[in-house]
Amino acid sequence: MSEKVEITLTVNGQKRSALAEPRMLLADFLRHELGLRGTHIGCEHGVCGACTILLDGRTARSCLHFAIAVDGAVIDTVEGMASADNLHPIQEAFHQNHALQCGYCTSGFLLTTLEFLRRNPDPDEAEIRRALTNNLCRCTGYTNIVKAVAAAAAAMRAAG
Amino acid sequence: MTSTVPYIGQAMLRREDDYLLRGQGHFIDDLPTPMGTLHLGFVLSPHAHARIVAIDTSPALALDGVVTVLTGDDLAKHVKPIVAEIEFPGYHPHGRDVIARDKVRFVGEAVAVVVTRSPYLAQDAIELVEVEYDPLPAAAKLEGANAPDAPQVHDTIPNNTIFQGDFTTPDFEAAFSGATHVIRERFRSGRVGGVPLEPRGCLALPEHGDNLVFYSSTQVPHLARTALARFMDHPESRIRVIVPEVGGGFGTKAQIYPEEFTVAALALHFRQPVKWIQDRREELLTDIHARDHIYDMEIAFDDQGIVQALRGDITTNAGAYSTLPFGCTLETTGGARMVVGPYRITNYAYQARALATHTAPSGAYRGVAQPTCFMAIEGLMDRIARWLELDPAEVRLRNMVPTAELPWVNVVGVRYDTGSFVESLQRAMELIDYKGFRQSQPANRLVNGKYRGIGIASFTEVSGTGSPGWRARGLVRLPGFDSGLVTVEPTGMVTAYVSHAHGGQGHYTTFAQVVADALGTNFEDVTIIEGDTATTPYGTNTFASRSAVTGGGALIRAATKVQDKMRRIAAHILEAADEDIVIEAGRAHVAGVPQHGLSFMEIAETAYSMNNYTLPEGEEFGLEENDYYDPPLVTMANAAHIVQLSVDAEDGRVEIEDYAVVHDCGRLINPMIVDGQIHGGAAQGIGEALMEEFIYDDEGQLQNATLLDYLLPTAEDVPLFKVEHIQSPSIDTVGGFKGVGEGGLIGAVPAVLNAVADALAGLDININRKPLRPNLLSNLIREARRKAV
Repeated sequence: MSEKVEITLTVNGQKRSALAEPRMLLADFLRHELGLRGTHIGCEHGVCGACTILLDGRTARSCLHFAIAVDGAVIDTVEGMASADNLHPIQEAFHQNHALQCGYCTSGFLLTTLEFLRRNPDPDEAEIRRALTNNLCRCTGYTNIVKAVAAAAAAMRAAG
Repeated sequence: MTSTVPYIGQAMLRREDDYLLRGQGHFIDDLPTPMGTLHLGFVLSPHAHARIVAIDTSPALALDGVVTVLTGDDLAKHVKPIVAEIEFPGYHPHGRDVIARDKVRFVGEAVAVVVTRSPYLAQDAIELVEVEYDPLPAAAKLEGANAPDAPQVHDTIPNNTIFQGDFTTPDFEAAFSGATHVIRERFRSGRVGGVPLEPRGCLALPEHGDNLVFYSSTQVPHLARTALARFMDHPESRIRVIVPEVGGGFGTKAQIYPEEFTVAALALHFRQPVKWIQDRREELLTDIHARDHIYDMEIAFDDQGIVQALRGDITTNAGAYSTLPFGCTLETTGGARMVVGPYRITNYAYQARALATHTAPSGAYRGVAQPTCFMAIEGLMDRIARWLELDPAEVRLRNMVPTAELPWVNVVGVRYDTGSFVESLQRAMELIDYKGFRQSQPANRLVNGKYRGIGIASFTEVSGTGSPGWRARGLVRLPGFDSGLVTVEPTGMVTAYVSHAHGGQGHYTTFAQVVADALGTNFEDVTIIEGDTATTPYGTNTFASRSAVTGGGALIRAATKVQDKMRRIAAHILEAADEDIVIEAGRAHVAGVPQHGLSFMEIAETAYSMNNYTLPEGEEFGLEENDYYDPPLVTMANAAHIVQLSVDAEDGRVEIEDYAVVHDCGRLINPMIVDGQIHGGAAQGIGEALMEEFIYDDEGQLQNATLLDYLLPTAEDVPLFKVEHIQSPSIDTVGGFKGVGEGGLIGAVPAVLNAVADALAGLDININRKPLRPNLLSNLIREARRKAV
């Protein structure tokens, strides 16, 4: 064990600091030090995508980064997507299309979709599927997630 | 979706979604962990079979923050050997120490547990526990595990044969030997697992002395509570099991595992909170595996393709231990009993056995034996078709039990009360334009460099098993019933408690639809509570496609009792006869006079003595009724899956190009959720058919205990499914519901295999195993082409 160090991140627009061992994973730091437990851990080796967050605007596996290594970074997690009253259009599309069952992988899919639709606001089905291969879902068979991403893209385009 | 009655049958959007989409679902590792919580880590055996010679815990104990390290002997003081008490001729019960003593029997079996102040420290401490093993030869493969010279897994079980059973109809031999044609085939199914995205875990909080609040990512809270009490010798009334949000179960979490006993026992022992969260490697190594099966089949038929007799010799891999609560017979007897499916097969014989091996224990993974037994029978149907040069659909239609002949009792005594075997297949053929595809399909199947084929699976799907069904399979301690407790609160709001626990099935939504209709109130006014043994009545819990049948049935019965009482109270106040009272939309009124009525709140306030009305003479206070529902033997759903796919002639990759499902689960509660169950199951079936497999080497080492190596299907491996429903409401169950949790998976495996076989039919390639990975198929194609030259 080594000494804890202070780590500061901008998470969902707010500066947050906490102490952590240098070996602490970003996923564990977000979950257990900052209390942002909407980011889930499914494999701890970067395959399943459940822990996907945005790191300086790009999707990243929070189980593959040490918190100390991203000190000072801008992080977006699922907790930053909705307002108290309204779900984000991507979340709303997941709801309307029954694109989640157990909900464990969902945060990762939402963040992957958020980045993907910024890059490609009008994707076709093949592009959506390609983008979603970074995340595993064991419940939905992906059919309704693909539909939800298309619906979210349409809604976000309509809203400008 | 607008809320109009009846709610049953409507695609109501889920109540669960809002909190899950916000990241506010409280899964096991998301629960607040009290200060002072002890974190466990398990030291896992690297050997498949070895004697434990010595365990040196001192280096681990020297680490700051390590509280203690315990071995199997230590845990044995707190937990008795766990045993699945199956009462079945030919079954050998055996105990399992929650932490191995003396001997380990599979790679991943725990030999010690470290008790530490943080999860990171637990990982450090695991590395410091030094275990000396004396390795022994392992029975790592199913083939040969019952040979006389095979290493023995348990001294008390000769030839590793944990279970053996057989069955023959009286006229079998005559029918078999009198048939014109016989086809023999061996079907080999690779070993897979549920692999939920959330691994398991538990958190045990002692309170008020020796009371225990036990959170676990499980599908079976009541069964877990009873098992904890029995094997820890702790009063059951002092254990409360709570199920947090569960990140997928698929049957994997319907077993009660050694770690759960260890966490609970150590929390009681240390009188401190104890927590354990499994990692993915542990999940892949130690959670139940399934489907390591061999089906040696013989089918006898006449010139018309009508089956005369079927014989099966079925061997399943039990792994190193029978698991709680199902033992190891579920896959064995399941395959043997379900293989006749929707077909009129009256002469049938089987021998079936479960063999112990030095591999992870097997258990109940979604579909249990049905993906493999239908791989066998549906594979045989296609072989009959090829033999007689008939269309595979035609062979099935000739052998199916037609709807007009239902109810039908099959050859092993299972009743099919209603169904749509013929209609489901015919509709699926229309959905995918089966005839059009066949007409344009060239004999060599080669189109634009790819072999293209189409495959059918027609099948029955066991659901909603009641106590007679479990008894028939020797599971004497598995109840069969579930229960519901429906309360109308003083404000007229409704709370319904049910003995289930969800892991993504949407129970908060679907059960509210059921209760609102049964009670005659608004969907919005009903709240569902489940997954907590302190508040919910006892039941068999959530696995084997049970919830709609058993939970739905119990809630309807309980709600009906409450409604009857409300009717009596309303009739008394409104001075009308009971039978003239109509209850709908949260109000009771006199038939034909809607304005002459009472709200649920007014009736409830009367029941709770909160207004000036009086109760009818002899009526008790309160508005709360409990009831149970134990369905018949089983509740049989059915479906047809048809898959059209291509096989790349060079690299052997399979691409699913079209996929149609017609499913019949009786009365649909929520079609949107039913479709989701089918999509997810079919995706798992595609994974099982094409990529998923746990691979053990000859020494019993699991070669692919990471998600990089154990491949799960991604969004690019799965098509958009076309799903339709036929509704043949059950006449044997309350509510007419049948289950749907497993059908997607059951159908996908044989349909994909048959489609690949069809695609490669021009090459004389025999598809009789799974998974069909690209390297296997490309080798088979290369070899076939070489022979053909």
